[in-house]
Amino acid sequence: MFKPNNDEQYNPSYNASNEPDEVETVVGPSVVVEGDFASEGNILVKGTVSGNVKTGKLLTVEHGARILANIKAGSAVISGSVKGNVRVLERLELTESAQVDGDVTCKTLVVAAGALVEGKVVMKGIEIEGIKNDKKKSSLRSKVKLASDDKSDK
Amino acid sequence: MYVYLYDNFLKQKRYESVLKAMETKLTDYGIAGKIIRLQHYTSAEILVEDEIRKGAKSIIIVGNDTTFGHVLSRAASCKVTYGFLPVGSENSIAEVLGIPVGVEACDVLARRRKLRLDVGWFNNKYFVSQLHIPPSNIAIEYDESFKVSSNSGKMELVVCNLKPFIWTGKGKDYVVHPQDGKLEAFLRPIIKGKMLKREQYESPSIFPFEEMVVSSKTPFPVETDGQISKEIKITIKLAKSRIDMIVGKERKF
Repeated sequence: MFKPNNDEQYNPSYNASNEPDEVETVVGPSVVVEGDFASEGNILVKGTVSGNVKTGKLLTVEHGARILANIKAGSAVISGSVKGNVRVLERLELTESAQVDGDVTCKTLVVAAGALVEGKVVMKGIEIEGIKNDKKKSSLRSKVKLASDDKSDK
Repeated sequence: MYVYLYDNFLKQKRYESVLKAMETKLTDYGIAGKIIRLQHYTSAEILVEDEIRKGAKSIIIVGNDTTFGHVLSRAASCKVTYGFLPVGSENSIAEVLGIPVGVEACDVLARRRKLRLDVGWFNNKYFVSQLHIPPSNIAIEYDESFKVSSNSGKMELVVCNLKPFIWTGKGKDYVVHPQDGKLEAFLRPIIKGKMLKREQYESPSIFPFEEMVVSSKTPFPVETDGQISKEIKITIKLAKSRIDMIVGKERKF
């Protein structure tokens, strides 16, 4: 992550894609964060966070790291363990060592073999007409049925 | 009117030629002014206030990181434009401000590209370069929202305002340039080495913040701009747009 001093200096105001970005927040391996943790820039977690984590940018949870609460992020790469709901706006990547105990909501999901998820997975944008029509038809039928029942009562 | 504050170390003979060249260039630009030599016991705040009363519009600090910190930590509240002419070694702040070391700095000064800079504030004192707490049993609370502690106990804390954070790990030197608008806190817990190896620093955790409270049951040393004090609880804040500063085009923020 950090570049050596000699030629290129690590500048936290720039992300990997060289677009201007906020400072990167790093939680070290033996560091414990307690409480709600929000950042405007990218977050890299190597230690333990006991509280909600929120960022509009990239959240990276390294192998061995733990988050014990809900996550909200622009995009996320999870290799550690998370006990809580994960809500990602764009891309969520679960690597082979990832363990998620909670519901997952995202736009794009990448799951490596070996990743563990125990919870509901919701991805917006699903367009399967059959399911929607069936649901609509069944709800219409029930409404019609109720209306006919009312008439017969009168 | 320009007032130049020369550090005491510039009396040494090896700086004579650089200073002479600088003074000639400043005269050419028409921005030469009064020269005051700083002593260890000089109170920068009283000195700057006095010069403002006498009509000074720009105070130019001539020296290195220590001189810069020494003057601005006390005189940050004075309403005047500051400039910096870095001379000699230990000039990492000049690089952040985009000011070249030596005679070329006069060109930056003459262009008068002004910016309002943020400064760090702790327990009624300002700091412009860095705040350093050597490894101590400290607890840290950020922006009244989350607490940070270490599994291993002792932690070193460095809060950077203008001076870059440099550390060595795995045989390499790393440099992080702070940016204006927020303070950056670098936390390095101490971890025990395997077998008979001595204690060593873990790679730093980085948290940008606007307010931080550091506390401990026992007094811990706090080092800012060359001054050391012992504290039990400190609140570190960012004082926004406090200093009017002449900066270079190649600045890091």
